[in-house]
Amino acid sequence: MAPTNQVLIKESSNVRTIILNRTKQLNALSLEMISRLLEVFHAYEEDPNVKLIIMKGEGRAFCAGGDVAAVVNDINKGSWKLGANFFSKEFTLNYLMATYTKPQVSLLKGIVMGGGAGVSIHGRFRVVTDNTVFAMPETALGLFPDVGASYYLSRLPGFFGEYVGLTGARLDGAEMLACGLATHFVPLEKLSLLEDALCKANSGDPKIINSIINEFSNTNPKLKEKSQYFRLKTIDRCFSRRTVEQIISALVSYKKEKEADKNMDDWISWTIQSLKKASPTSLKISLRSIREGRLQGVGQCLIREYRMVCSVMQGEYSKDFFEGCRALLLDKDKNPKWNPSKLEFVSKDMVDRYFAALDDKDWEDLKLPARSNLPVYAISKL
Amino acid sequence: MEGGTASSVTIIILLPIFLPYPATPITQLPTIRLLHTVKFPLSDQLLMESSPPSSSPSSSPSMDRVNFRTQVLSRHLHHHPQTTDLLRTAPCLNYSPPELSNPPPNFDTKSLRKLLDGTSVEEIDYIFNLMIQSTLFCPRERGGKVFIAPDFNQSMEQQREMTVKRIEYLRDRGVFEGWFDKKGPEGDLWRFALAESVSVYDHSLGIKLGVHFFLWGGAIRFMGTKRHHDKWYKPTETYEVKGCFAMTELGHGSNVRGIETITRYDASTGEFIINTPCESAQKYWIGGAGNHATHTVVFSQLEINGVNEGVHAFIAQIRDENGNICPNVRIADCGHKIGLNGVDNGRIWFDNLRIPRENLLNSVADVSPDGQYLTEIKDPDQRFAAFLAPLTSGRVTIAASSMNTTKIGLAIAIRYSLSRRAFSIKPNEPEVLLLDYPSHQRRLLPLLAKTYALSFASNYLKMIYVNRTPQTIKTVHVVSSALKAVLTWHCMRTLQECREACGGQGIKTENHVGHLKSEYDVQLTFEGDNNVLMQQISKALLAEFLAAKKRNKPIRGLGLEHLNKPAPIIPTQLTSSTLRTTQFQTDIFCLRERDLLQRFVAEVSQLQAQGESKEHIFTVTYQTAEDLGRAFSDRLILQTYLDVEATVPAGSLKSVLGLMRSMYTTIVMEEDASFLRYGYLSTNNAAVVRKEVLNLCSELRPHALSLVSSLGIPDAFLAPIAFNWVEANAWSSI
Repeated sequence: MAPTNQVLIKESSNVRTIILNRTKQLNALSLEMISRLLEVFHAYEEDPNVKLIIMKGEGRAFCAGGDVAAVVNDINKGSWKLGANFFSKEFTLNYLMATYTKPQVSLLKGIVMGGGAGVSIHGRFRVVTDNTVFAMPETALGLFPDVGASYYLSRLPGFFGEYVGLTGARLDGAEMLACGLATHFVPLEKLSLLEDALCKANSGDPKIINSIINEFSNTNPKLKEKSQYFRLKTIDRCFSRRTVEQIISALVSYKKEKEADKNMDDWISWTIQSLKKASPTSLKISLRSIREGRLQGVGQCLIREYRMVCSVMQGEYSKDFFEGCRALLLDKDKNPKWNPSKLEFVSKDMVDRYFAALDDKDWEDLKLPARSNLPVYAISKL
Repeated sequence: MEGGTASSVTIIILLPIFLPYPATPITQLPTIRLLHTVKFPLSDQLLMESSPPSSSPSSSPSMDRVNFRTQVLSRHLHHHPQTTDLLRTAPCLNYSPPELSNPPPNFDTKSLRKLLDGTSVEEIDYIFNLMIQSTLFCPRERGGKVFIAPDFNQSMEQQREMTVKRIEYLRDRGVFEGWFDKKGPEGDLWRFALAESVSVYDHSLGIKLGVHFFLWGGAIRFMGTKRHHDKWYKPTETYEVKGCFAMTELGHGSNVRGIETITRYDASTGEFIINTPCESAQKYWIGGAGNHATHTVVFSQLEINGVNEGVHAFIAQIRDENGNICPNVRIADCGHKIGLNGVDNGRIWFDNLRIPRENLLNSVADVSPDGQYLTEIKDPDQRFAAFLAPLTSGRVTIAASSMNTTKIGLAIAIRYSLSRRAFSIKPNEPEVLLLDYPSHQRRLLPLLAKTYALSFASNYLKMIYVNRTPQTIKTVHVVSSALKAVLTWHCMRTLQECREACGGQGIKTENHVGHLKSEYDVQLTFEGDNNVLMQQISKALLAEFLAAKKRNKPIRGLGLEHLNKPAPIIPTQLTSSTLRTTQFQTDIFCLRERDLLQRFVAEVSQLQAQGESKEHIFTVTYQTAEDLGRAFSDRLILQTYLDVEATVPAGSLKSVLGLMRSMYTTIVMEEDASFLRYGYLSTNNAAVVRKEVLNLCSELRPHALSLVSSLGIPDAFLAPIAFNWVEANAWSSI
């Protein structure tokens, strides 16, 4: 198979720059891209000539996510198992990155969403900039934050991860740095200088790489005045609740308390609204996924998420994923009709099923490649 | 469980391949010859992640086996000297996670955890989530992982303040909402899950909450009536009222009926007057009284018109809303303790404290405004029993939380023994993993199997408690007495063994195993001294036996039905396979219980015939009583184990459960002298039993890691030595 042009690779002595190149789709990950990335990452790990990997996106975005529209298309044409193949490869790639022995520097310009976060956040260095926009918007799509998000979101301070994962809130570069999703903030105009410097240094030593990035970094980018990161206390108080229903009612009573405070209303109303608009099933399985993920390793998280995503695609308990894709990506009427339509109709029993092995004789749990390396930083970076 | 790091490794190919287990006897280790060395990239797929899928059945077992053998090989060689050049430093020991040298679980670890935690898994995990995510729980990064544990280096006063802050944090998250509203077995199980999961973090937190909600709250709920519920439920749930439970006195602990605090009634004002008549009547060890409690339940003799009506409970306020001690109350601190310093134990004296008549907790007896004593239950013994019966929940939580503590100790010690090596068996060979020594296996693996058995028993206790009826009160009392004693003793013994098994590292507070001993030692004493509880079992069994005989009917209840059948026959020549049958295991446990009960009955009736008093008889027959108490407990535990096993479909999980059951029964036979003393085992058979322990250890060895992973204690609650202890102790981490 001829190498795809959706992924470009630049070689500069021991540095490999991987460029996501599908600009029209904001570099959304196709099966072709994921397969290529898997191949390349496997090869580089064993290639003594490669010391450092730089990941970036061509054009305006880093990566807008997995190409779920294509996945849904495939499923509609054939079987959901085509989708299972896509996610199995994507999650394996996420796992490879999380346990990689060589440093990966991701230059996160523009949009970093869903699957885009999956191919960057698990790496050692995540460099954000002035125009970075991060989000895990899956609950609005009838899906749930996957690509190992139950691992990294659950490790954000307090209950910020639950907030980001359930509401799909957008974070800018400064917020990402503040909560730990990013390791460095480099102003937009210095980003290409940083890239050149990294190539020139030609080193795989994390300490050297770190100090090079630091040279270009703004160590304390200002959070915008109305940053949601300033709401951390409220987020902790509400999003630490046991169930989605309790989270919403905590938010609603908080809103009542603060009725007089004009500044607060915008954000709190938006937060409540985004929860009300999201798929009820998605909200419930997402919350449980993050809570379980907090007590698990990254491998266990991905195996669990694979069970969940297969159940979602199988559509036995809810077809919200297809409805969400229809309403947001295909017909674009932005008016999904969720079923079950309300949180109270999603029973504990239904939620449980997303976490169980699928009742299908051809189906298997995700088998991750054996890895020797779970470097200390693979755990402590967040 | 994840952790571990290694740099590039030189792999030396060796022949023949050997496996570290099943425990190869030291003398049989094959010789190793160096063939040649190759550079082996770390990323090689032969090595597996340290967090293997817990539940994916292998698609190709033979390939897994090949991979695994190779992993084992490479694992062993990490530490092999790479050069004979003495001038160069020897290669350093790298931490290698246990997951690299152990096969992936061959059973579903999640299903096994479900057998332990039942329907409460999600509740428990939620509380874990809350604690892990708050800085109030002192997260610390060690060796690339975050651990949470109280800062025991803080002063006693600081530790107490932190306990209160943690309670308030949990309250603010709505954790206690509905404490008094949730009804039925689900409500009880939910309350238990809460109490247990906070204790996994810190015993002080568990006890402080337990005193407030289970003792103070429980007294209001069970000993009080509607007027008390209406007044106290809400402020108790919100922790505005901080309750304590003043039962024990300096002079009286287990013997509650002997307490000396006295309360009289003043009909002219409609008040009770509580008084501490002498120093031995001061309330002692009252958890929460030292600094924080605003209210207490006071246990006191009630004297009405000059007649002592026995022990009753009253509500008294001891501090005002600003925390100032009330008039006619004196409070002093119990001082620094060997553990549990996050709980403010205090002493209380009452100087003719007046409280309203309504503050008598009047579920079984009341005093009318004009000072008449009113009760439905005329017999004071029965009244007292009915009065205290509902408080059994304390023993249920103690038994359950002692199992969690045991799990923590074992998970830490076993994970450490799977990554720490000591001594080479031959020159130039790598040092041997601690758990590959049969002696080390013997120290830890039987305790692990026993912990599973006792945890199932603890679940059984919970279930009979939450489904209790007036008819089952006696069973709940006997079973809770037995299991509280047996489980807490097992906890302390296990922690001591784990401490020693971790060597010097076991001494460090951050590694838990040693420190937990002093935190949990009090379990053996509070809510009934273990020895006193054990004696009650034999008394109860005797009573059942005599009652059935008197009625001339088969004996029923407490699992004693086997006494109605002929005595089981034990084979004269035991074999390994006989030892593993449920038939034999049940038979010998029943035989022991039956014989000891008959001996006890004979001993007691002989003394009765000599005209001795009942009280005297029980004080002199304690040896048989003790043996019988243990025999009853062990048989009960085996029975609950078999019941759990029966719910599991045939497969790999069921076989590992069977293996652990055989380990449990065999170790009981090996360790309890009664089997030899009374001849249930011949000396020959006892030797067979002892040998079988060794076999069982080596068969359990490959499952050791999966079995501790199934215990469900999150990594954050374990300790640095359970993970990358090299990194945790590196200079760079200082």
